[in-house]
Amino acid sequence: MPLLELKSVASYYGSVQALKGVSLRVEQGEVVTLLGANGAGKSTTLRTISGLLRPASGEIWFEGQPIHEMAPEKIVRLGISHVPEGRRIFPGLTVRENIMLGTSSRGRLPKKQMDAEVAQMFDIFPVIKPFEDALGWTLSGGQQQMLAVARGLMAKPKLLLLDEPSLGLAPVIVQQLFATIRVIHARGTTILLVEQNANMALSVAHRGYVLETGEMKVEGSPKELLGNEEVRAAYLGGHG
Amino acid sequence: MDALANNFQVLFQGLALGSIYALVALGFVLIIRATNVVNFAQGDFAMLGAYMMVAFLVSVGLPYWLSFLLALVGMGVFGLVFNYGVYYPLRHRGFLPVIISTLGASIFLQNTVLAIFGAQPKRLDNVIAGGMQIGAVFLDSQYLVILAVTMVMVAFQFFLFEHTMLGKKLQATSQDKDMARLLGIPVALMIAITFVYSSALGGLAGVLVGPVLFVSIGMGSIIALKAFAATIIGGFGDVKGAIVGGLFIGVIESFAAFYISVPYKDAYAFLMLFLVLVLRPQGFFGERVAEKA
Amino acid sequence: MRTQSLEAPRARHVSPWPFILFAIAVAVPLLPYYTHVSHFVLSMFMQATTYAIAVLGMVVVLGYTGQINLAQAAFFGFGAYGVALGTVAHGMSFWLSLAIGIGIAGLAGGILGMTTLRLGGHYLAMITISFQQIFDLVAVNWIGVTRGPDGVAGIARPSLFGYELSDDRAYLLLCSLVLYAMMAAVWYLPRTRLGRAMRGVRENELAAEVVGVHTLRTKIIAFTLSAALGGVGGGLYAGGFAYISPDNFNFQRAVEFLSMVLLGGVQSPFGGALGTTLLILLPEWLKEMPPSLQFIKDVYLAIYGLAVILIMVFMPEGIWGLLRNSWMKFRTAPPVDTSGITPLNLDIAVTETTPLLKLEGLQKYFGGLHAVDGIDLEVARGTVHALIGPNGSGKTTMLNVVNGIYKPTGGHIIIDGNDVTLKSPHERAAHGLGRTFQNIRLFPSMSALENVIVGAQRDNNPIEPGAKALRERAMSALQFVGLADKADTIVRSLPYGHQRLVEIARALAGHPKLLLLDEPAAGLNQTEKMNLVELLKKLRSGHGLTIFLIDHDMGLVEKVSDRITVLNFGKKIAEGTPQEVLRHPDVIAAYLGDGSAAA
Repeated sequence: MPLLELKSVASYYGSVQALKGVSLRVEQGEVVTLLGANGAGKSTTLRTISGLLRPASGEIWFEGQPIHEMAPEKIVRLGISHVPEGRRIFPGLTVRENIMLGTSSRGRLPKKQMDAEVAQMFDIFPVIKPFEDALGWTLSGGQQQMLAVARGLMAKPKLLLLDEPSLGLAPVIVQQLFATIRVIHARGTTILLVEQNANMALSVAHRGYVLETGEMKVEGSPKELLGNEEVRAAYLGGHG
Repeated sequence: MDALANNFQVLFQGLALGSIYALVALGFVLIIRATNVVNFAQGDFAMLGAYMMVAFLVSVGLPYWLSFLLALVGMGVFGLVFNYGVYYPLRHRGFLPVIISTLGASIFLQNTVLAIFGAQPKRLDNVIAGGMQIGAVFLDSQYLVILAVTMVMVAFQFFLFEHTMLGKKLQATSQDKDMARLLGIPVALMIAITFVYSSALGGLAGVLVGPVLFVSIGMGSIIALKAFAATIIGGFGDVKGAIVGGLFIGVIESFAAFYISVPYKDAYAFLMLFLVLVLRPQGFFGERVAEKA
Repeated sequence: MRTQSLEAPRARHVSPWPFILFAIAVAVPLLPYYTHVSHFVLSMFMQATTYAIAVLGMVVVLGYTGQINLAQAAFFGFGAYGVALGTVAHGMSFWLSLAIGIGIAGLAGGILGMTTLRLGGHYLAMITISFQQIFDLVAVNWIGVTRGPDGVAGIARPSLFGYELSDDRAYLLLCSLVLYAMMAAVWYLPRTRLGRAMRGVRENELAAEVVGVHTLRTKIIAFTLSAALGGVGGGLYAGGFAYISPDNFNFQRAVEFLSMVLLGGVQSPFGGALGTTLLILLPEWLKEMPPSLQFIKDVYLAIYGLAVILIMVFMPEGIWGLLRNSWMKFRTAPPVDTSGITPLNLDIAVTETTPLLKLEGLQKYFGGLHAVDGIDLEVARGTVHALIGPNGSGKTTMLNVVNGIYKPTGGHIIIDGNDVTLKSPHERAAHGLGRTFQNIRLFPSMSALENVIVGAQRDNNPIEPGAKALRERAMSALQFVGLADKADTIVRSLPYGHQRLVEIARALAGHPKLLLLDEPAAGLNQTEKMNLVELLKKLRSGHGLTIFLIDHDMGLVEKVSDRITVLNFGKKIAEGTPQEVLRHPDVIAAYLGDGSAAA
């Protein structure tokens, strides 16, 4: 049984149909990536999974449970952590405080345990350790992205949803970030990664899907997708 | 009295009244930060708290500390009612319906209290009678109590927000509601807590200032407007700005009344507000007031 | 003010309501001449009429223009004190004093309106409250001038054309006539150029500014009119009641005016009058309650406050809104007459070969974020030029800077030889700049035709003056996009694709030289996109119109563009024909990402 499964999910933003019957699955232990041009519906897919958007039709199953009608607070407690687009770290709170708030879905943690887990997180993200007591808004884009992922991981999720982590980041930082994603995966977290940067995403993924205007167009392994003319067309046009 | 003593007296009074404005402004800012709602009934929380105190202390005859406690608890409960009755149904509409709704709540509160207690202002005695004489300066004990309690509240507030997980969650809710939900923070509960706390803060301000100003139906309105002015002058939405702004207004008002003219005492706060809004809308600590495309 | 109706030509639909209302309006002030009516009741109606005039001001500033005004009682007070002090203290004639009072009120309103330059929303509410409070304080304390809390007594009734108006019935007749005249004017206002501008500001201020409405001036005028109406009501009030004191003009009164207009219906002069009458009659009616319900009399003010909350939650359009909505259900809109519409003229004379749009070293920084980082760009006249780039590359920021929504940090923007770098959006519209938004920004509660007319209203639009020309231009634009038959439909009920077309029509109605399109295909389905491509091709063919567009649908971009510029991280990385650009390795890398694997 797949960890996560979407069956013909349709979603609307107001009167615009953003998703038109999207189906996909993520198996335990995989890194799966959702690719596509801007406006294709990638972020909408994640927001529908995490409960910020309710699907108009279709089903979402997580560990054998239907979650398509649940509130976000409940879904995160089931084990799905969504790191949304645009980082969205709390600007007026410190790096440490942001990370600690990542445990909000797990109830009260004893101080010793909290400290130990935060220390672990800094091991995975050494880039932000020097900023432990700095306010969120003072960090650079790349640092904020690292922080956002760290915060998302503190929920100890079974499935991590990453939404466009490379957005607006310089290539060097993006490399660092994706190295970290590999580390996270190696430690046992299943990841569903939405990315505009197709090549980078396919370098860490086991499988990929390509979305175009709300529909699933192509599915395959990185080898099948890399250099696939269809993928290029999904971004830069020129079908047929 | 010599000039220095005069000035000190005036300063002292200004700080004390400013503390009241700061307490009300604090409650006001917390609601703004959590919900983006400007609560025009905030001053009436103070009025309500003062009247509750009068009810328990004078009408029922309970001891001071018990009346005080009950008034605070009562205001906390009221905050909950306000949250679900006034804010919750309108939370997705534009800002205009909510402003108007809080104005309606203000009218409702004032007139309900009027119907119950009558129009005659009530007396509330000082917590501790008398005062302190230092040289040529007389420090009314109630003012001292106000300053002391305000300092305790500010410290408490600081502790709550900076050193407890609940405080962090409240801050997170006010900075990014949706993100807070994604982390599992119960946002609706955080907002309810904010209203309860703000309501109790307002009630506390009313209880403290009651002995100084007379407890009357309209006492909340003027305090509220000055508290609003305080939040803007301090920087709209900034917590320390609210406190500094409140003290600032209290002091300016006090000196202006003493040196310029007493009847227009209430006008100075508005004049300051006008000036700040025109010259520096972001106030002392605020960010640029910008329009988004 | 234009005087012609601007509804699409169609059959007149006759309803009984105007006649009924007219009959009541005539009957009420004349009734006292035919049967005995007590002085008390006459006073009540005098109060109702004078308050209603002030409440009409709220309809204009809040209902039409969407600006909150909690100082209306102060303006009412300017009028009242004008008459009181003018006649009693200075022995001037009633009419002269009234004029002065109205003038001062209007001036104060204008000044308050000017504060909207920087502020809106909550800040505006507080500024108006502060103003109201200061007025109150001055009225109470400046005893030398206003006589303080004692008020001013002995205000005499005026005479009009030789008739003494000391008879209450005659004075009530005067007040009623003034009220009706004001109501007619306020009723007509939304159909004028100014009225449409006001409604645009209320519905979507940014869009209004961008299509050419001078939003600040509109708001100032709204406040001035509102204040002047308040002054008229106040002056007549003083003349009617012979005695005024400061507590008639305080914040509580301002809140009452607000409640009256909300209860009745803030968007209609009838609503305003209705709400006023109800809230003045209500306490009197409550006094007549049977003993068992007497307690209501004591708490009615509290109920009043509760009612305001309930109105906001359940009935935001007030009683009049409810009545009108239920009546509208029984009306079917008659079809629009689409015959004889002149084809849309989009021709721009192409007399020069210099670029129409020139960006020199354009920069826009948001603190440390260099959204647009030194761009030089030229768009040739009569061409379609596309701007593409991955998410976050600075495209929308650049469009917003060209449009005037953001001021650039550095560099110049030159449109048809004019340096518009420092000009506001509505000034750029006057230079022939048109725009559509990625998230459609129409005026939701206005009809398609009204939306498009606002676009046609921009300064320097090369059409004939007059309402007829505006209407014709708008209908032509709607026909061009294929929606002429939907002219009278309220846009919020149109499907998304049609809304997009109305927005384009609105931009075209302004006869633009340069049309900025921000993701015009966003949210459209395949069929709608194909239609859009056809529309864009129609626009391109030989009119001389220049188009600058952003979109993510490369198929569309390839089909309609003559030239493409590619951005990444705020800088230009490629430029050329679609063929050159869309297969350029740098461009592919920008979109699909760096090919090197993570370390």
